[in-house]
Amino acid sequence: MSAEKTMKLNLKIWRQKNADSNGSIEDFQLDGVSTDMSFLEMLDVLNEQLISAGREPIAFDHDCREGVCGCCGAVVNGQVHGPDEETTLCQLHMRRFHDGDTIQIEPWRSRAFPVIKDLIVDRTAFERIQQAGGFVSVSTGSAPDANTISIPTRDAEKAFDFAECIGCGGCVAACPNGAAMLFTAAKVAQLVTLPQGKLERSSRVLTMVERMDAEGFGDCTNHYECSAACPKGVPIEAIAVMNREYLRATFLSPEGA
Amino acid sequence: MLRWIYRFLNSSIGRKALMASTGLLLIGFLIAHLAGNLSLYKGEGVFDEYAHFLGGLEILPLAEFLLALLFVAHITMAILTTLENRGARPVKYAVAASHGKKTVSSTTMFISGLVVLIFLGKHLWDFRLHKEAFEKAPAEVVQTALSNPLTAMVYILGAIALGFHLFHAFASAFQTLGVNHPKYTPALTWLGRVLAVILALGFASFPLIFWLSQGGAH
Repeated sequence: MSAEKTMKLNLKIWRQKNADSNGSIEDFQLDGVSTDMSFLEMLDVLNEQLISAGREPIAFDHDCREGVCGCCGAVVNGQVHGPDEETTLCQLHMRRFHDGDTIQIEPWRSRAFPVIKDLIVDRTAFERIQQAGGFVSVSTGSAPDANTISIPTRDAEKAFDFAECIGCGGCVAACPNGAAMLFTAAKVAQLVTLPQGKLERSSRVLTMVERMDAEGFGDCTNHYECSAACPKGVPIEAIAVMNREYLRATFLSPEGA
Repeated sequence: MLRWIYRFLNSSIGRKALMASTGLLLIGFLIAHLAGNLSLYKGEGVFDEYAHFLGGLEILPLAEFLLALLFVAHITMAILTTLENRGARPVKYAVAASHGKKTVSSTTMFISGLVVLIFLGKHLWDFRLHKEAFEKAPAEVVQTALSNPLTAMVYILGAIALGFHLFHAFASAFQTLGVNHPKYTPALTWLGRVLAVILALGFASFPLIFWLSQGGAH
């Protein structure tokens, strides 16, 4: 590990008062940024200075700061969650930057994710997609016996690859088309890979895709930027699974007749 | 009764599936078309014979109609998807970097498709709609059309645009139709790229050779 150093940064950050106002990029100079800080800690330092100066701090989403909750995220120099692979913004460290760097920080850009304030966007569209079918209907009475349904390890691992999605919205932000297919597909693929999810497979994919389309996301044209930007590395295979589930539900199931 | 079909064609995945399946069928047509055209290299007589054989097929009007239908469906879905995608990000990024996956080919599908469409219009005029196309021997029609430098240029550009289009299209179509498999997907990706280069070079070879030979004669 290299010793801690401090650096001076030029920050260009999207400021927007509320959903109804027009935002713009604002310039900030920040001195004494430690290389050991996380990206969000760097923003904390900037906000402390802004508050001391009587100015409005920069609004950004964050919660666990451990890379598992899916709350944080911004587009840093054009890259979703910054330059590191499979890393959320909170896990990105300032040692990835150099003294004197200019860093451009923007919110997720999507018709379906309107900016609420500064770097915070409204991601409730994801919740509505999830509620449209991203669940399994099970009795919640007494706890079921463990291992009543055997699942091959390969299937369990595959389902887990899809289940790693934390719903941060980075896939939408990274997609040149603003599509939400990787998110929706991760849910569809996770559930259909497991026996418990097979019961509702047809109705689920139809209603979830219908909801996704209604929210105003774009259409996937297979650039694969989403999977490359995904902090959890959800595989692009998920979208193929959703596509064939959708075709299967449309042409081979009685659902939606 | 047909509500589910309406729903399918209005869905993002349905439109993409129709674009992908018509696209794959059109690639099939292109392979057959190039194979037929290659008979030009066997001599004018062989090409004329092939053209007369095609022209004499009773099923030709139906085949042409179905082919036109493929084009119309493919282009309609492409326009709808492109419009949808243009609207999905009303505010653009000030800095838009790549995560390393998108390609020149994948980001220019609509433009390359448009260039191919413009070429197709010219091509249909030259060989199918133009009055002279039926008055001369087929090989002669080719010679007349391609010895015009402007026409040759449009044909070469059309072939290049087609190559760029197919470089992304082939493997993308399989993914859209739900085919993604650790054993086959890498092979399909490379097969698609090789096919794109072969079809582009193959189709570009005719205007290139006619243009060059004509240039030498003058």
